[in-house]
Order: sequence, then structure tokens, then C-alpha cells
Amino acid sequence: MSEFEHKDAVVKSVNAIKNGPRSMQLYMDICAKCGTCAENCHVYYGNPCKETNPAARSDLIRNIYKKHNTITGKLLRRGELTEADFEGWVKSFWECSGCRRCAVYCPYGIDNSVLTRKGRAIIHSLGMSPVRIADTQDISDKFGNDEAQPPKAIKAALEFLEEEIEDETGVKVRIPVDEEADILFVPASADLISFPETQMGVAYFFHLIGASWTMATDAVDGANFGLFSGDDAHMKRKNKLLHDACLKYKAKMLIIGECGHAYRIAKRIGGVNYFGENGKLPYEVTNIFSFAEPYFKDGTIKLDKTKFGKSVTYHDPCNFGRSTGVTEEPREILDLLVDDFREMTPNRAQNWCCGGGGGLAVMDGKEGVKALGDETFLDSRMKAAKKKVEQVKETGAEYMAAPCANCKRHVGQMLEHYETGVESGGVFDILIQAAIPPAE
Amino acid sequence: MELVELVVGRILPYVTLVVLIVGLVMRLTRWNKGPTPKMTIFPGATNRGEMITNILKEVLIFRGLFQGNKGLWVGSWVFHAMLAFIFFGHIRVVWEALFFLPEKGQHLVSAATGGTFGVIVLLAATYLFIRRLTVGSVREISDVEDYFALVLIVAIVLTGDAMRFLPAAHIDLAESTRPYFLSLITFSGAEVPSNPWFLMHYLLGQVLFLYLPFSKFLHIPGVFYSQALIQKA
Repeated sequence: MSEFEHKDAVVKSVNAIKNGPRSMQLYMDICAKCGTCAENCHVYYGNPCKETNPAARSDLIRNIYKKHNTITGKLLRRGELTEADFEGWVKSFWECSGCRRCAVYCPYGIDNSVLTRKGRAIIHSLGMSPVRIADTQDISDKFGNDEAQPPKAIKAALEFLEEEIEDETGVKVRIPVDEEADILFVPASADLISFPETQMGVAYFFHLIGASWTMATDAVDGANFGLFSGDDAHMKRKNKLLHDACLKYKAKMLIIGECGHAYRIAKRIGGVNYFGENGKLPYEVTNIFSFAEPYFKDGTIKLDKTKFGKSVTYHDPCNFGRSTGVTEEPREILDLLVDDFREMTPNRAQNWCCGGGGGLAVMDGKEGVKALGDETFLDSRMKAAKKKVEQVKETGAEYMAAPCANCKRHVGQMLEHYETGVESGGVFDILIQAAIPPAE
Repeated sequence: MELVELVVGRILPYVTLVVLIVGLVMRLTRWNKGPTPKMTIFPGATNRGEMITNILKEVLIFRGLFQGNKGLWVGSWVFHAMLAFIFFGHIRVVWEALFFLPEKGQHLVSAATGGTFGVIVLLAATYLFIRRLTVGSVREISDVEDYFALVLIVAIVLTGDAMRFLPAAHIDLAESTRPYFLSLITFSGAEVPSNPWFLMHYLLGQVLFLYLPFSKFLHIPGVFYSQALIQKA
């Protein structure tokens, strides 16, 4: 095999860990190889082999680091990174969904998702990201949203949803767009077209509480593939659209919809860390669950629990659960929306990832990743979904609420693939049916 | 033998001490300089006190392993706890820590605890070794360094146990070892014990400390750093 042309670039990027973030330095130094991560990883559970073992995946980076930065590594480690090795990187780092479950069980709290993102960043910098991921970033940079929708189309789509809400509830609900308002609402990109039920539910909710709210055509989705691809510059660019829209429409509050990773970026990674002045933003950043819960609890929203008519279980999206701690609010709301709510075990911080996180859910084909061989991303996702399917089946629930566009797409495919007969969707989808329309 | 005693007993101890301290300080300094963006795993801690409690739970009772793998939790906790007791038991090498007991009582307590722990730790190490060789998810991520670390510790424990259990290898702590170690501190020239079991045990122990700042043994200081990152409020 001829020498890998990008070998030096990869080594250089790996060596930068030496003076990089403390987490990565530690993860190079302290892993004791106990294997606990593998036993608590859904990808490994669905397809147990070295390629899916989280510690082995992290070793792809760790081995290069050790070879160049430790005494024993310099003495003992041989072999150079080949092109075939690196093709294996692309497959491996895009099989991990970055759900961070391993960090909950690792005795040292090693968060392998940090190294997954590092690996993906190197892949992206060499222009080798899976096609769908790279394309979505390009589209987002061109259109300001992941669905390639110009402002006119967004307005038309939202008008259509207004009609749909009226058809289903008999209530005339307006979805304000590009107006000055107290609240800027930003959903997942898929909520406009693929999963409009969630967007309808949220609009209905804002109507029922009489909120001053708006959506913005130039910040219509919170989805941010920069988190997935490891492209920090893109992550900041996309996050800036939300910030700018808040300023433009004088919003006092930025509310992120059913999209965990969008909320994680707006609240914890970007947001105030990117654009704050003296550690503050001129608006508050929250999510639809934390905002809505009090209105459900105090009876502002009148509900008929029997209307939905299906038993419901709740799936904690990794970014709402482990990464931002929004675990109780959605449950409180579901408990009021339906009369048969069932917990999956384990849940909350210990919840098993469905397998669609980290951007994996949008990839069905090979996406230009040679190492996949005869497989597709859909095949490997369905294997990784094995544990989740078992969990859902155990509850016997008829509806699986998963408030994350990545989860929703993947979970829908998964429930069909395993012929479970279980339906899936968001939390606010249920509101359309469960809310008692106000008397005229 | 005299050369061995000179190297192992007179020169290497100071080299080991310097390498261990300088190596650790340099590594910890580098860790300290690394940026720490927020990466809490929720529920996390809500204040500093809770964060310290959470970290101590991980360090003292291996909370993560308890939840993630019960078998490994037992084996690993026993292994580490025994090693910690044995390590701190070595204080008797320089100081009669059980001075409040009559001499016979000192020997009894020391023999009972050190002897028992010295055997239990071997059982735990054997379990860890067999697990590494037989459980696929562990074998496939193990390399030379992982086996070396275990073998090194087992070798240290075996030579230590030999001095306790084999009459021929026995070494008198108060008579010969303690004066020698105290002389290392005072730079006076007490005789280096020539017992070969002692010299072997001593050499291997020093290899462990020389190796520590450059190896997976960095998980000892590292666990505090790493847990703090994900526990941070």
C-alpha cells in the first residue's frame, strides 16, 4: 500500500492534543482499558466487535498520540497510518452517535464522544466527511437552514400548518413570522417538513397561552451539523443566525424546540460562550419543555387526558438528558397529556441512545464511506437500535415520544424495521389532540 | 551482589524519587493548562461540595463500575483497595506506626492484615488477568502495556509475600530495613539489606514508580481531574 497522502496532517492534528483541551489530554493518558464502555454502548451491543468497541475507536487516535508522544510509544509502536486505516476512521467515527453514555459508566468519566468529535473534525478537515453531512452543512451555509428553504417557502409551509391546526382543532392559530416579539422560537429543521406535528403542537401551545412569539425565516432551524462534523467554525456561524435573529426581533427569550443538540449548542456550547458580553446575552436561552411546563401544571392549558388514547413511553434524547439535564419537564408534561405514561428502564442520564444521534439519523446509504463495504449506514443504525427496541417493547407502550429530530427519523425507521407496531413522534404532537379548545 | 546493592539501594532510590516527582508535576501542570469547556454529564453536581462528594464516590466506591459492571466492580474494587492498604502499610518501613501496641501485637496486626491482603490482592489480580484474556470486549482493546502493568504489580506482590511467608526469605523490619530507609533520608550510610527477595521487591517497586508518570498508572491522579470535568456544576 502506498503512503497515505494526508498522514502528516492527521499526525499533526493528533499531536496538538498534547497542549489541547484537558479532557483530550486525560483521555490520551488515563484509559485503563477495562472494557466497561463497551458493555454500556448501544453500538457495541448491537454488533459486538473490535470496530464498535468505544475504547478501540478512541485508540485510533490514542495509538497515534502514544507513538509520537510517549517514551514507550516511541520505542515500541511501529507502523504508519495507511489510507485503508483512515477509511476505517470514517466508518468508525461515524458509527458512534456521540451519546456520552460511556462517560456515565467509565470509572474515570472518559467521554469518548470528545474523541469521536476530534476524529470527525480531522476527517472533515480532509474533506472526507460522509456526503450527506458535508452537503447539509453546505446547504445550511447557503440557505440559512438545512432544508434549502427560501423565506417564501418557509412562510408558505407555516401558513399550511396554520390551516392544518385549524382543521384538526377548529381553532384559528396564527404562526407569526419575522415580527418583533418577546419570544423567538427555533425548532429542529425537520419540524417544518418531515415532522410538522410537533411544530403544530408548539404553535397551538403558544396560541393557548397568548404568548408574544415569532419565528424567523433567517433562523428557522436550530439544527447545527457543526456539532456533528467537528467543524467549529460552522457551528458558530449557524449559532450566530439565532443570535442575530434575537437581536433583530428584540426577543427577550430564545426558545429552542424539540431538538436536543440545538439546545445544547445554544445553551452550553455556543450562545453566551460565543456572543456573550460580560458573560451575558441580552436574551434568555431556554427550551420548550422548561418554558411550557408551568403553563401545563397551573392549568392554563386545559387538557383531556383520555383524548390521545395510546399508552406512551418517553425516550430521553442524549442531548436533552445527559448533556443538558432536561429530563423532568417533558415527563411532567406527558403525565398531564396522557393517562398511560410508562417509563423505560434505565432512563434519564442512563438512557440508552436510540442509535440515531450525532447526525447518524440522516444517513441511509453509503455516503461515500468506502469502509462500509456491503453495508449502508441504515444497516449499521438498525443494528445499533437493537437495545432501544428491546427497551421500548418491554414497556408495551403504543407511542414512543422522542423529542429530537435525529431520534424521530431514526426511531421511526427502527420501529418499522423491527416490526414493533409502535408509533413515534414528539411530545407536543400530542397536544393537538389532548388540549380542550378554548370556548369562543 | 555489591554492585546490585549499590545501584538498587544507593543510587536508584534518588533517581526514582526525582523522576516520579518531576514527571508528575510536569504532567499535572500540562493538564492544568488545558482549556476546559463545559462538558457536564447531567444530573452532575449543583455546587462544589456535591461535586467533591460525587468524585469521592467514584474514587472510593467505584460508583460507575458498580452501575456498569458488577463483576468487574467486585474484582477491581478489591484489587485497588487491597493495594491501597498494602501501600500505606509500608509506612512501617520507616515508622513504627503501631507503636501503641506491644511488640508482639504489632507483629500480629501487621501479619494478619498485610498477609491476608497480600493474598487477596493476588486473587483479584488473577481475576483481572483472566478477564483481560478471556472477555472479548476487553481482550480486543488490551495491548502490551496493559499486560505489563498487571504483571509488574503481581511480581511486586509475590516478592513481598515471599518475605512474609517464606522463612528463607524473611527479613526483619526493625533490625535491618528500617535503619536502611532512615539512612536514605538522613544520607547516612546504613547497610543495604542484602536479602535477594528484598532487593527484587525493592527494584520492581521502583520500576513501578519510575513508570507511573508515563503510563496508564496516570489514572491514579487522573481520575480526580477527569471526573471533575463531567461532574462540574
